[in-house]
Amino acid sequence: MKLASARFALFSLGQLLVLGGLALLPVVDLVFPSLQFAAPSRTVIVFAIMALGLNIVVGWTGLLNLGIAAFTALGAYAFGILTCEIYPFQVGFWWGVLLAGAFGAFAGWLLGAPTLRLRGDYLAIVTLGFGEIVQDALKNLEAVTKGTQGINPLPAPTLPGLQFSSETHVRWFYLYLAILAVVVFLCRNLEFSRLGRQWFAVREDELAARCMAIEPDKAKLKAFAAGAALAAVSGALGASLLSSTGEPGNYDFQVSILALCIVIVGGIGSITGVLIGSIVMVGLNVILLPLLTQTLQRNGIGSTGNVLTSPDNYKYLLFGLALVLMMRYRPDGIIQTRKATRK
Amino acid sequence: MTETEVFMQQVIYGLSNGMIIALVALGYTMVYGIVELINFAHGDVFTLGGFLTLTIVGALGAAAIIDPANLGDSSHWLLLFALVIGAGIFCGGLNVAIDRVVYKPLRRAPKLTQLVAAIGVSFILVNLALFWGGAPMEVFGGGNAAAASKDFPELLEGRNLLGEDSNVVLRLEDVSIFIITIPLMIALTVFVKATRLGRGMRATAQNPVAAKLMGIDTDRVIAATFMIGGFLGGAASVMWSLYNNTISFQMGFRAGMDAFTAAVLGGIGSMPGAMVGGVLIGLIRAMSDQYIETRWTNVVVFGVLILILIFRPSGLLGLKQREKV
Amino acid sequence: MKIKLIRSAFVFTALLAPLVGVGGALAESTIKIVSSLPRTGSANAQTTSMVNGIKMAIADVGGKIGDATIVYEDWDDASPQRGNWDPAVEAANADKAISDELVLAYIGTYNSGASKISMPKLNAAGLVMVSPANTAPSLTKQGFGEQNEPAVYRPSGKISYFRVVPTDDVQGAVAADYAKDIGSKKVFVLNDREVYGKGVAAVFEKRAKDIGLEVVGTDGIDTKASNYKSIVTKIKQSGADLVYFGGTTQTNAGQLAKDIVSGGLKAKFMVPDGCYEQAFIEAAGSRALEGRAFITFGGEDPKKLQGKGKEFYESYKKTYGGEPEGYAVYGYEAAKVVLSAMERLSKAGTPLTRESVRAEVAKTKDFVGALGTWSFDENGDTTNRTMSVNGVKDGEFEELKVVK
Repeated sequence: MKLASARFALFSLGQLLVLGGLALLPVVDLVFPSLQFAAPSRTVIVFAIMALGLNIVVGWTGLLNLGIAAFTALGAYAFGILTCEIYPFQVGFWWGVLLAGAFGAFAGWLLGAPTLRLRGDYLAIVTLGFGEIVQDALKNLEAVTKGTQGINPLPAPTLPGLQFSSETHVRWFYLYLAILAVVVFLCRNLEFSRLGRQWFAVREDELAARCMAIEPDKAKLKAFAAGAALAAVSGALGASLLSSTGEPGNYDFQVSILALCIVIVGGIGSITGVLIGSIVMVGLNVILLPLLTQTLQRNGIGSTGNVLTSPDNYKYLLFGLALVLMMRYRPDGIIQTRKATRK
Repeated sequence: MTETEVFMQQVIYGLSNGMIIALVALGYTMVYGIVELINFAHGDVFTLGGFLTLTIVGALGAAAIIDPANLGDSSHWLLLFALVIGAGIFCGGLNVAIDRVVYKPLRRAPKLTQLVAAIGVSFILVNLALFWGGAPMEVFGGGNAAAASKDFPELLEGRNLLGEDSNVVLRLEDVSIFIITIPLMIALTVFVKATRLGRGMRATAQNPVAAKLMGIDTDRVIAATFMIGGFLGGAASVMWSLYNNTISFQMGFRAGMDAFTAAVLGGIGSMPGAMVGGVLIGLIRAMSDQYIETRWTNVVVFGVLILILIFRPSGLLGLKQREKV
Repeated sequence: MKIKLIRSAFVFTALLAPLVGVGGALAESTIKIVSSLPRTGSANAQTTSMVNGIKMAIADVGGKIGDATIVYEDWDDASPQRGNWDPAVEAANADKAISDELVLAYIGTYNSGASKISMPKLNAAGLVMVSPANTAPSLTKQGFGEQNEPAVYRPSGKISYFRVVPTDDVQGAVAADYAKDIGSKKVFVLNDREVYGKGVAAVFEKRAKDIGLEVVGTDGIDTKASNYKSIVTKIKQSGADLVYFGGTTQTNAGQLAKDIVSGGLKAKFMVPDGCYEQAFIEAAGSRALEGRAFITFGGEDPKKLQGKGKEFYESYKKTYGGEPEGYAVYGYEAAKVVLSAMERLSKAGTPLTRESVRAEVAKTKDFVGALGTWSFDENGDTTNRTMSVNGVKDGEFEELKVVK
């Protein structure tokens, strides 16, 4: 009953709360000027889009993907090559993002087609390997990708009559938030679509799904492509934010792992959960940890030569403890979906 | 160097590196076989094994060990065996403790939850290794640069066994890897095949519920598996430190990734598979460094892996899983 | 469950509140100087030394410029997952500095790749940036990178990025010349496939060819590999008598040095200033380095510094109780050059703004600092071109040659 009524709303209550909460961040900045949440929060949004893509693959279809960063990298580089002034295309921000997404979907399809029949952890290692291959290929194919130099400058978003730059980061933040809202809306529609239900069926029991005339391979391939497309879009948005693709090494295994942690910590399969997961995990990195060390410094606890007394040296520990404790006390993530219960 | 000499040299390096990878991979594959957990922290348990080894070596006194005059003395072999056992027990114990505190309460949680918990443990262990690197000991550079790589002293004589004029280099380090790893692997195989606990392991791997119903103490079996897996990781960390003469708080990352790849390549859950997979990855790396380019080596390794899995979806020696109806 | 969620949000906010309070009101006349360096991970030893240098420079002026108090903040541009500089964090740092109006100078970065991210942002905002460690030439000079470099880093058209270290076009050439001096004929050039290492290796390679050395091979290593024995065999086969590695201690130079020895390769080994730190000797072990390793560095051994440099060295040892790393003095000098520009402005009665500070730093001429007397050229690079070639003896760096 609840499901049926929810179908017609644009967003669920939880999604609305999170998006609305994010929208309030610039206001928080106005009240506490020392915080400056809005600018780094754009990174949170970029990761949220990547994690929403991963959620389609891992959360909804039950395929473990340890190489989502490869698609983010491909998206960023596609965006770079299509928009940077040193290449002939220069299609501009919006086309760049869309084409990067399409390219990501194509890459996902290309990797998925021969490998998706692999089971569980075999698929995981294939995606992990693909992540390594993409990273090294981007580094080595200098003629196309400029190797380690990275491609820059890349265009900021454009809208008629509006400028986007570091000074206007609040505007930029709202634009990215709007894009995130669109992505959430798309994901939500996918979730309740025929395809979405096919994914759930494949996740719960592939054989049973097959008996119900679902073709698991096709459904999986679509999930893979959709996830890759979103990851690529996030790569493009992130690259625009940095005005550079950065080095290929910036899209390494650790990024894939972070995305996976976001999905699991937030609540696997839940869009709201993934949004919250991004805020918690990325926020920890770009907002909370810097704030914490800064505060400690202001109180005279700064970095010293001794490894034990420098707050920076506790970051791995804090991050790891956060993961372990969250898994221990909320094993299904912050938002638990009944739909995602597993055998 | 002639082409043949080059090839032989690369085979030696490929096998040596591969045997170490295989040893770490066994830890992954055994744990996976029993509790279906990709133990992400395994590589970092391995790291701590390396730090313990260096600490012991440092505590025993630099003079006795690093002095070239004493090298080659048989007491060094004794020390080496002692280190392997010491680091093995330490890592095994650590692995069991981690299982008790972190994984065991999550045994019934979704698989991915366990995976993320393991990732969390991995970060914690990395940080512990970082602190350990700041230990105020001479071997740790006085503890001033905790994050820096640490030099690991030569414990075995560095002379070329094939003669100083030979272009191919075979040193005691290379040989020691075989002397240590092969008996360990044989012992493990015998243990799993012939002992009661080993049979319990195989039964639990087949079907934990049925094993429990048959009166097998599965908790004990799981603990034993973590112990043995950790032991092998600890032994590998000694060999690794000895072979590379370096330890760093991040050394478990690549070792862990290679080992995980090896375990899957061989067929995850299969012990012979992990051994074959490890050696194969060592060899592919060496050959690619020589005959292609080292900057493409990772691409080659993972490219070969993906190709093999496309044609053999359960790895080289993995059993084809039957669909449960 | 929703209510639970909202409750957690409140708890989260409550936890943040004390942090906010501390960061609250600062005195009216406050100047902020921030540094953005990788503080998490393996570069920590080097950056700690630099931060110490910065703190010393601020202590030298008594923590004040005129009536204004200097607040220094030591920002980390690394994140725990990466264990290395993180582009997202570096970008966030730049944005944070830009939006905090009290910030008048940005000292950083350590990695040239990181500067590529923050330079255009800070330039657009007119905030002066002084790097104590970036050496990639393409950041300031044409002809080393893409067509659009370095203009792309200067959207405002003004120069706002300065550095107190000589660049790699100098360093790579000095290294190649020295290789020839010590009688090398065939060189094998490796790099770590990162911005800095690849750049300096390319300069070395070009110069080596120009002066008649034979380059028998090039390759880019995998910096996370456990050893390099296989590539050493390949080098052995090539007959090289010198291996040049464009890379840093963090990108595994120490391991490479060891494997050259254990692989029975009798070639010499040469590395750039990314390895000029005690951590490199510690990682490689001095037995792998003595007599065969050469480390170039854009400056001199801290112990041998003269004049103000000597004062710096003495005072560093007194304050922090240890030997400064090679880059400590650059951290000190970077802060010093900014502070002296501010002092000049303050004495002249000019209000301190981002633009006035930037313009005044650009005017730095014949600056008498710890690194000698030097100026900033029209690109924002130091005119100081002192390079040294160092060897290793008894576990310490030993200066072999100084090129001015």
